Amino acid sequence: MADFVNSKQLPDFRLWKKMRKGRQLVSFNLEVTARCNNNCRHCYIHLPAKGGLVKKKELTLPEIEGIVRQAADLGALWCLITGGEPLVRKDFSEIYLCLKRKGLLVSVFTNATLIRQPHIDLFKKYPPRDIEVTVYGVTEKTYEAVSRVKGSFRAFMRGLDLLLKNRIRVRFKTMALRTNLRELPQISEFCRQRTKDYFRFDPFLHLRFDGDPVRNREIRSERLSPGEVVAVERADEERFGALEKNCDKLIFSEGAQKSCDHLFHCGAGNGSFSVSYDGSFRLCASLWHPDCLYDLRKGTLKEAWEKFVPAVRDMRSRNKTFLTKCRVCPIINLCLWCPAHAHLESGKMDRPVEFFCDVAYARREALLGNNGKK
Amino acid sequence: MESQVFLNKVYAPSGDVVAREVAGEFIIVPIASGVGDMEDEIFSLNETGKSIWDKLSPAKSLKDVARELSVEFEGPLAKIEKDCVGLVQELLKRKIVIEKGKK
Repeated sequence: MADFVNSKQLPDFRLWKKMRKGRQLVSFNLEVTARCNNNCRHCYIHLPAKGGLVKKKELTLPEIEGIVRQAADLGALWCLITGGEPLVRKDFSEIYLCLKRKGLLVSVFTNATLIRQPHIDLFKKYPPRDIEVTVYGVTEKTYEAVSRVKGSFRAFMRGLDLLLKNRIRVRFKTMALRTNLRELPQISEFCRQRTKDYFRFDPFLHLRFDGDPVRNREIRSERLSPGEVVAVERADEERFGALEKNCDKLIFSEGAQKSCDHLFHCGAGNGSFSVSYDGSFRLCASLWHPDCLYDLRKGTLKEAWEKFVPAVRDMRSRNKTFLTKCRVCPIINLCLWCPAHAHLESGKMDRPVEFFCDVAYARREALLGNNGKK
Repeated sequence: MESQVFLNKVYAPSGDVVAREVAGEFIIVPIASGVGDMEDEIFSLNETGKSIWDKLSPAKSLKDVARELSVEFEGPLAKIEKDCVGLVQELLKRKIVIEKGKK
């Protein structure tokens, strides 16, 4: 009998290969709010959960439906609902279902503190691709030292238990910051015991998207030193092993990098995009430079994707320091530098960032030292 | 066990899946639990399957579908009926289509 139906698990689906061949929209991040019921010390986006003015700026459900319809028409297959904390929105379920009904695979980033039985019922009937829960600590003291909300640890544990007891697919991540640094091994153990999927940690704390100087000072004070970043990476065998394995591809020999004045050498805008809570289209979640924002309330996603993205990707730098330093740097692949991060750090997309250099050199030392090449 | 499929019955796409075309490929995405057998499963149909799928409707029996395709593609009705039954059997097994009027 003819084989009419081809069934594959997602990672094996031949469509991915096909989609990777050219510039094709695959996925997008939908930041449905910047509000959050936690108030984490390191958060680059947090605005108060009850902020009335912010709420008024948020995309409405019909506006979100319009963007989702356009994204599906352009071929998007995957959407990440994120925030802020997405569950502070009372219409979260409607947003979630609107994405599912367009045939999108849906992931959700949440702190799990607001998970209730109706969310569980929704996720059981209409399964997400995954729910990624951020774990700030595994003791009340540490968790709430990060979240700065009393009772948030208990709410987190209750929400997480609900998800796990109901066998909702959960993945974990944590941010490595000064306040929870000592608890990182316990956090890692806690997460790995509770998921067959991955656990990841991120030692890089982004500065605020809105440039808030007070909060940026706070974020900087939470950053690990380059030596500490390397130490936590080293402690994670899987992560450090991958870095070691790809060492030759990650570190170029001196002079091997060709100079080029194009700002964007990354994949931003090639297969994905991000939409902020107020409808700003960006090539990636971190890219907030005013010249790189497209207002979806005034235009269409098609125009943003087909005309705006190529124009942004064609931006060039005239900054000699950048062109002769970062652009030809043999360890750029170990660096946190990118135009988006540089803008958040310095206000310019083509400026070297000292902290990033320090992390990159610390990583190189750790890697080459291990390989005995130094 | 193979699902029983009859030409005089009506079969239609389930509301628990969404059919889409992505990068020139026709895919069926399960949106509710219980469709398919594995986690993270999406489906695609071959050309014959896609032609049959396009005709499936709550207003037509499978025999009507086969007849339409036979006229459209100027092919032998018996062979097309066999293909229609084969496809619907596979889709029914995975709950991608449902038999209309069946509780």
